[in-house]
Amino acid sequence: MTALDRPSVGKSVVAYVASWFKPAGGQRQDWVAYVLLAPVLLLFALGVLYPLFETVRVSFLDWTGLGRPKPAGIENYTKLISDPNFLNALKVTLTWTVATTFFSVLFGWTIALVSGLDAKRTLVFRVAIFAAYGVSEVASGVIWLGIVQPDFGLINSVLRAIGLDQWAYPWLGDANTAMVVLVAAYVWTQTGLPLLTCYAAIVAIPRSQIEAAYVDGASHMQVLRHILIPYSLPGLKVAIFLVLLNSLKAFDLIHAMTEGGPVRGTETVGYFMFKEAVVYFKQGYGAASTVVLLLAVIVVSIPLIRERSSDT
Amino acid sequence: MNDIYKPPLWPMLLIGVVSLIWVLPLIGIIMTSIRPEGETLKGWWNIEEFTLTLEAWREVWVNYPLWDALWNSIKIAGLSSLGSILLAPMGAYAFAFLNFPGKKVTFLLLVNAFVIPNQILIIPLFTLWRNVGLIDNIFSVIIPFVALSMAWAVFLVRNYLVDFPRSLIDAAHIDGCGHVRTFWSVVLPNALTPMAAVGILQFMWTWNSLMLPMLFLRENIPLPVLLTKIKGTYEPNWDQVAVATIITSVIPLLIFLYFQKYFAAGASNQSGQKG
Repeated sequence: MTALDRPSVGKSVVAYVASWFKPAGGQRQDWVAYVLLAPVLLLFALGVLYPLFETVRVSFLDWTGLGRPKPAGIENYTKLISDPNFLNALKVTLTWTVATTFFSVLFGWTIALVSGLDAKRTLVFRVAIFAAYGVSEVASGVIWLGIVQPDFGLINSVLRAIGLDQWAYPWLGDANTAMVVLVAAYVWTQTGLPLLTCYAAIVAIPRSQIEAAYVDGASHMQVLRHILIPYSLPGLKVAIFLVLLNSLKAFDLIHAMTEGGPVRGTETVGYFMFKEAVVYFKQGYGAASTVVLLLAVIVVSIPLIRERSSDT
Repeated sequence: MNDIYKPPLWPMLLIGVVSLIWVLPLIGIIMTSIRPEGETLKGWWNIEEFTLTLEAWREVWVNYPLWDALWNSIKIAGLSSLGSILLAPMGAYAFAFLNFPGKKVTFLLLVNAFVIPNQILIIPLFTLWRNVGLIDNIFSVIIPFVALSMAWAVFLVRNYLVDFPRSLIDAAHIDGCGHVRTFWSVVLPNALTPMAAVGILQFMWTWNSLMLPMLFLRENIPLPVLLTKIKGTYEPNWDQVAVATIITSVIPLLIFLYFQKYFAAGASNQSGQKG
C-alpha cells in the first residue's frame, strides 16, 4: 500500500512536475496529432477547464442574484471560515466521507474475501449485492425514503409489529438519525464498488497457489489470511480512493433524501455550494466553497494522480 | 480448486444472508408497485391480505410525463455515449502512437481531470448557457457530460491501444497510409472492445445523474429529475412513486448486470492500473 503513504514533498515534487513539460522523447513530431486531438481538447476546454477557471475567478467576486459582480478580494473566503453553516458543513463532510468510505469498503472487502473461499456457490449472492451499485443515487434515495417513512416504512412497521412501538421514530426529522440513514443508503449503493475491485484482485490469484496451500494442509482461515488478504490489497487500495472521491463529491443522494436538512444538518460542502449559489443566489460565496471542495478532492487524490501520471 | 478440497458451508450461508439484506429494499419497491396503496400502508412485507394490481403501472403514465422523461433520458444518455465513443479513440490514438510538443502535459491534465467534482461546473456553465440560450436544451448537459468523460475515456482506450501490435501500424505506414487513414482503417476496427466499454460506462453514468440536468433543464427533463419531482409532491402516491423508481432504474440496471466485466475494467482503469 505504498501509494497510500504521504506523498514526498519538496524537491522531488518540483522535479516531478518539471518532468511533465519535458518532450515526450523520440525525434519525429507528428503534427497530425493536433488534428486528432482538436475536438477532444476543445470540448474539454469548454466543459471542464473554462468552468474550473471561472469558478475560481467568481470566488473572488461579490456576486448575488442578477446584479453586477463586484470585486471582493478574499472576502468570500474570510466569510466562509466564520460562517457556522459552513463550519457545520465541514464537520458533516468529514463524518459523511469517513463513515461511508469505511463501511462500504469494509463490507465490500469482507464479502469479496469470504466469497473467495467458495466462488461458485456465492456467485448469485454476489451479483445481488453488486446490483445495488447499478441503481442510481436518486432511485436509491427514494427507495430508502420508503424504508424510513415514519408511518408505514419498513423499519417503523417492523418495530411496531414486534412490540417495540416506543422505538418507532421519524428518522429523517433529526439531524443525527438522518445522517445515519443517509450513510446507510449510500453504503447500500457503494458497497458493490469495493466488492468489484477486491474480488477482481482475488480471482486473479493463480489457482495452483491456493491448491498447493490446501495440499500442504492449510486451513481455510490460513488461506484467507496468507493468500486472499495479501492479494486483495491492490483492489482494496483502489476501492478506498474511488469511494472516498465519490462520497466527497456526493450530491444526488442528499438532494433526493434530505435536501441537506433538517435545518442544514446533513449538508456536506458539495451540497452547501448548491444551497448558497443556486438556492440563495450567492454565486461568489458558493464558488468560494466549491474551491474549498476542489482543494479537498485534489489533496485526497494526490497519491492516485501520482500513480496515474507515472504510467506515461 | 474444487477438485482438491470441498469448500465449507459457512461462506455461502454468510454471503447469502448479507445478499438477502441487500435485495430487501428492491423487493420492497417491487411489492409496493403491484399492490393497492392501502395495503402497502400496513407494511409491504405484510402479506396477510394481498391483492395483485397493475393499476399504478397504468396510472403513472397518465399522471406524470413519464414517457417524455424516458425519451429525454434515452436521448441524453444515447448522444452522450455516442460522443464519448467517437471522440475518445481520436485522443487515445494521438497519445498512444504519436509524438508532439506538449504531449505529456496535455495527457496529464486530461486524464487527471477525473477527480474534478461536478459542482465546479454549475455556476459558470449556468451563466454561459443562459447567455447563449442553451438552458432547457439537452445539449446543455450533453456537452459537459462528454467533456467530463474525456478524462477517463481517453485513458481507457489509450491503455488498450498501447498493447496494440506496432507491426500492424508500421505495415500500414509502409503501405502508404497516413495517420488518419491508419487510425480509421487499422486501429479503430480493432479497438471496438474499449469503445464499447466507454459507451456502456458513459450510458450508465449519464442516465443516472441528477445534478446537471436538474439545473440546466426545465421542461426536457430526464427520469431522475422527474423522480425527485414526483416524490417531492405533497402526499405522493407511493405505489406510483415505486413504479417511477423501477422505470428509472431498470434499463441501467440490466445493462449494468449484463456488462459487469466492463465495470471491473473501468474501476481498475480509474486507478491507473491497466484493466
